[in-house]
Amino acid sequence: MYWKKEDINKYVQAKEYIDTIIIPLIPFQLSQDNDLEKNAFQSEVLTVFSGEIERELTGRVMLIPTYTYLKSADKESEAARLNGWVEDAEKQPFNHTFFVTFDSSWKKHEQALNGTLLWLPGLQTGDLHSKEMHAIIRDQVEQISELVRSYWH
Amino acid sequence: MSEKKQQVSRRQFLNYTLTGVGGFMAAGLLVSPLRMAIDPVLKESSAGDLANVSLAVEDITTEPTRVDWKIDQIDGWYESQVNKSAWVFKDENDEIQAFSPVCKHLGCVVSWEGSEDYPNEFYCPCHDGRYYKDGTNVPGTPPLAPLDVFEKEVRDGMLFLGEAKPKGEA
Ligand code: FES
Repeated sequence: MYWKKEDINKYVQAKEYIDTIIIPLIPFQLSQDNDLEKNAFQSEVLTVFSGEIERELTGRVMLIPTYTYLKSADKESEAARLNGWVEDAEKQPFNHTFFVTFDSSWKKHEQALNGTLLWLPGLQTGDLHSKEMHAIIRDQVEQISELVRSYWH
Repeated sequence: MSEKKQQVSRRQFLNYTLTGVGGFMAAGLLVSPLRMAIDPVLKESSAGDLANVSLAVEDITTEPTRVDWKIDQIDGWYESQVNKSAWVFKDENDEIQAFSPVCKHLGCVVSWEGSEDYPNEFYCPCHDGRYYKDGTNVPGTPPLAPLDVFEKEVRDGMLFLGEAKPKGEA
């Protein structure tokens, strides 16, 4: 389910079946010339990627709007804000929270996050629309959705 | 004098105009049979088009296999490439079956033998929805309808798939 009217209407009628939220974490910073291209590319990939996971598990998962932050921002205070989102969602209730990101700096702050961090390594650059990229994403989506499912049992 | 002249010219003007309109209508009459002849052709190349899913018919076995392909879709504001998937196999009558993987409960993607506990069935991981091999939902599991069935066609030995429709309508 996405944060859009059509899906939310479905959600409201089937709340008891939808117990998992996924929050993509995407850094953004125009002042870091060297990383601009990489960050933009990873942002695109992660957006496609989260969309594919959503498609796979749509009946049980709500994809939360992307959490965007400055790459250089202090992660502890970002984590505190994020936990505010999670707390609000948990009132619904949602029982499982996953954060997906390419940004490895979250790894050190995993403990501060109220949920499971799924850090995906790699993918510096490439062609998002190529066959190879499609295969890589498909493969990762399968593995990640399996991981998410393992939390349901 | 000048008034009469004007009236004439006004009538003439109207005449010309009406002829013009008549001409248009006549042209319309001429065009419509042409349109009728062309229309079905136009339709076939736009909506409801079947896509080549890059699977040779001879490679299809009795074991359901997942195929993925892409189509261009214009959906309101967005024009985008949409990923499509199907479970394809030959049934006991050697007929090709192509099922939509979208669970009829809340839409998760189902897998053939997706659970070790339920061999020979399609399985939905979200709420343990199940379907028999012919796509029929297993009673007592959340889905209330069989898996949708793709429109299909075989051209030059390749499988082409169109839209998924509720079973019995495709
Ligand atoms: S979405 Fe398949 S069983 Fe609920």
